[in-house]
Amino acid sequence: MAATEIRVAHPHTVTERILGVVFGILRLAAYVLLCFIFLIPFAWMFFGSLRAEREIFTYLTPFSLQTFIPIEWTLDSYLTILGLNDAGRMSGLGFGRNLMNSFFVSAAVVVSSLVFNTMGAYFFSRLKFPGKRWMLLIVLTTFLIPFEATIVPLYIVVRSLGIENSYWAMIIPWFASPFVIFSLMQFMRDQIPYELDEAALIDGAGYWTILWRIIVPNTVPGLVTNGLLEFQFIWNLFYWPLVAVSDSRIQVLQVAISGTLGQNQQYWGRTFAGSTLATLPVVVIFLLLQRFYIQGVASTGVKG
Amino acid sequence: MAQQLGTAQSATSFLGRMLNWRRQQLIVAFLFVLPAMINFATFRYIPIVQAFIASMYDYSLLGGFGDFVGGQNYMRMFTDPVFWRSMQATVLFVLYKVPLQIVLALGLAMLLARQSIGTAIVRSAILTPMVTSIIIVSIIWAMMYHSQQGLLQSLLVTLGFQKIAFLSDTGRALPAVAAMMIWKDIGFSFIIFVAGLKGIPEMYYEAGIVDGANRWQLFRHITLPLLRPIMMFVIVTQTIFSFQVFVPVYQMTQGGPLDSTKVIVYYIYQMGFRFQDMGYASAMSIVTLVLLLMVSWLQMRFLRMDD
Repeated sequence: MAATEIRVAHPHTVTERILGVVFGILRLAAYVLLCFIFLIPFAWMFFGSLRAEREIFTYLTPFSLQTFIPIEWTLDSYLTILGLNDAGRMSGLGFGRNLMNSFFVSAAVVVSSLVFNTMGAYFFSRLKFPGKRWMLLIVLTTFLIPFEATIVPLYIVVRSLGIENSYWAMIIPWFASPFVIFSLMQFMRDQIPYELDEAALIDGAGYWTILWRIIVPNTVPGLVTNGLLEFQFIWNLFYWPLVAVSDSRIQVLQVAISGTLGQNQQYWGRTFAGSTLATLPVVVIFLLLQRFYIQGVASTGVKG
Repeated sequence: MAQQLGTAQSATSFLGRMLNWRRQQLIVAFLFVLPAMINFATFRYIPIVQAFIASMYDYSLLGGFGDFVGGQNYMRMFTDPVFWRSMQATVLFVLYKVPLQIVLALGLAMLLARQSIGTAIVRSAILTPMVTSIIIVSIIWAMMYHSQQGLLQSLLVTLGFQKIAFLSDTGRALPAVAAMMIWKDIGFSFIIFVAGLKGIPEMYYEAGIVDGANRWQLFRHITLPLLRPIMMFVIVTQTIFSFQVFVPVYQMTQGGPLDSTKVIVYYIYQMGFRFQDMGYASAMSIVTLVLLLMVSWLQMRFLRMDD
């Protein structure tokens, strides 16, 4: 445990008791300040998306509760960016489609990645194969390949496959992930007794049956964690869809927002609304499944 | 005689069936890993080979492969002042960001190590920027930094200060982006430090207290040495991540003002996708890749020394 927790257990003197109270208050103040620092931008964005455009600027200064809390609550900004009112139609906005694209691409990647990575993890943790250790080395070495620095080469390959500017371009490169394979592999190794599938093998079950009947049902927590991390990774991708896809009808929400709302800083309410739409799914999922999430990240550092 | 032949035949056919079955099992096993291996080959390894080839040619997206130019694209880097400026900006960014982020993350991890409702709330708050997309964070922070109507200007004015130009000032733009990225990324290091602190047995501290150590000594002689492997891991991964910063620069400053935030990955993007010079962009990708691999390699050397 942290050093901060080791404090004198029984405050004997009055001074110590006062010190304890002072420390308690300081600690609480630090907590409040931290929440402030990390959440204020989100509060500004979220409440800003729910107020009339001019309010954002009128009540900006002085910095107070009014800077954030709307006086006149309205969903106008959302209707506009989804193209559901006149202002939105006149500006040619329709982010509903891009929102659907984001959901579709993320779902497709999560599902395909869970299928293929589970199969791969099963292979590496359970099956006998000559040269398996070398294959694992090839998988683990991909950890070392920097991501953003190799986007240009990745684009060259995707282009020569002829799938650029399509949904495929946003899905296919990510259907397998070394991180997910490694994490599921560890999970299967540590959490599922080998006797289970050995018994099934003796009973004449094939690898496929064993995978679906024995391994998958026992790997559910690992699958949830990895599916969650994968969803967040794909949902938040920006650089790749930016260069891989030029057709705005199949473009994902992040890129559409950056291009239409982010570049001309004119309508702040719309930008806030679009940003809120792009943020809500990942934040809600994170808050619901926080425990899995923290385990997932912590294990990369402590074990790996 | 006939009987003997019969048994021999059935024995070979049994052996044959066994071999067949084994071979079948091997093929089935291989099918399990095949999709993933194809993916890694196609989308992780071949791009590097492709980049290496492209870097030796005049290669544009529109015109395709042109003349073979050999090492010219690599030589060009040495004489390209923008390349060196972008390397400088990248290294500066890493230096602004990584040390401060790690000190802050460790401080937060120690402050919030105890389990309570309060710490749980603060932890969720710290992790929220981490799960949010980097492009959204960049858009919102560009508005917070806005020279007139930014939220930070409102805070400054209310506290009695002058407004400050953040992103339009050559000296402040890069630190401003780095500050935002610390805010965004600190959650990763924080989680890993919290897990690391949990892994230190309580009795070490108890023994330290019995020996009369004060809090600083406990931290200096127990916490820090035991966190060293994790610390190394965080430093190296964060250095590699931060070296590749792209999205905030793309969204907030486009490399400006006066190239002060033109980091290497942004310059590669510009060269490849804006100026259509994929050959030179590929050469710079390869150099960046090699630099980052060297960092990883050094990490492994250090980690091995620890064991």
